[in-house]
Amino acid sequence: MNFLAAAWEQVYGLLVEDGQIALGTLAAFIACGAISALAGNLGSESLRDAVGPLLFVLLMTLLLVNLYTTGRKAYAKRTHL
Amino acid sequence: MNAALATLAIAAVPAFVASVVEWVEAFTIVLAVGNTRGWRSPIWGTLGGLGTLAVIVGVFGTPLVIYQEEVKQSFHIVVGVLLLLFGMRWLRKAILRFAGIVALHDEELIYQREVAELRAAGKTLDRWDNIGFWFSYKAVLLEGLEVAFIVIALGAQGGSALQAAVAGALAAFIVVLVAGSLLHKPLAFVPENFMKFVVGAMLTTFGIFWGAEGLLVEWPLADGTLLIILAGVALTSFVSVRMLALIAPQGARVAARNI
Repeated sequence: MNFLAAAWEQVYGLLVEDGQIALGTLAAFIACGAISALAGNLGSESLRDAVGPLLFVLLMTLLLVNLYTTGRKAYAKRTHL
Repeated sequence: MNAALATLAIAAVPAFVASVVEWVEAFTIVLAVGNTRGWRSPIWGTLGGLGTLAVIVGVFGTPLVIYQEEVKQSFHIVVGVLLLLFGMRWLRKAILRFAGIVALHDEELIYQREVAELRAAGKTLDRWDNIGFWFSYKAVLLEGLEVAFIVIALGAQGGSALQAAVAGALAAFIVVLVAGSLLHKPLAFVPENFMKFVVGAMLTTFGIFWGAEGLLVEWPLADGTLLIILAGVALTSFVSVRMLALIAPQGARVAARNI
């Protein structure tokens, strides 16, 4: 049982270490999927092709924001000790 | 020729670099077991772990390759999302390590800790050592799961990508095994954090590229766009490290799990 729990923890940990990054990544992807579907309904190829760069911008912003908050928390923790 | 080079760059190289990192971590534990409890059981444990991994890659990887054409779009979405989750995680951790906020991975320290734990468990009088077998089996299987995941995700592009990714992972295994056998000590000189950063950046790049293709996006420069995305990811990482240096100048040095 311990081994199965460790294996599950490893598989889960492969993808999720920080909830904000994992959920933010999924949210960015779903948002881009919705825009792509909308572009398909509107027949707008240019809108659909903007989804790729948008996904890149959303994810890099997510990374920056997550690292900023992590850095702030770490600094606060250090000064608190 | 160009297709072969592209497969090498997209599947074999990232699989090799990522696998070196994981095999080095597994090797440290197997070495600790072998040096404290003898080599018979850890060798069987390692072989058992590798066999289990081969089954996992075969069971999950083969259908993905066989039915790749039929489910190409949804397949790109699934692979893209998985690569993004995995790549962003590695990238984030590598940046935090570069900034000194999370401690660097220290193979020597891990080796010493494992040796102490194994000695505390006491020695068996039997020829077969269960503790030695399971320690090694778990180390190879659990570290190897990351290798298996990367191999399947990178190999999922179809064509010869799966073979290239498997070859990259096997080459990494052989390199680590040979280096470890010759040196007979933890491979602490391997720049694990830099390699994790490179792999994290590459997986994030592929994840964005394939994920968007799954959403029916046509990239303006086709495969050439990969280089532009990679440059953007590297630039964002550089900015992140500089930003963290400003926020926490000497690094905060707190455990990763606590932040």
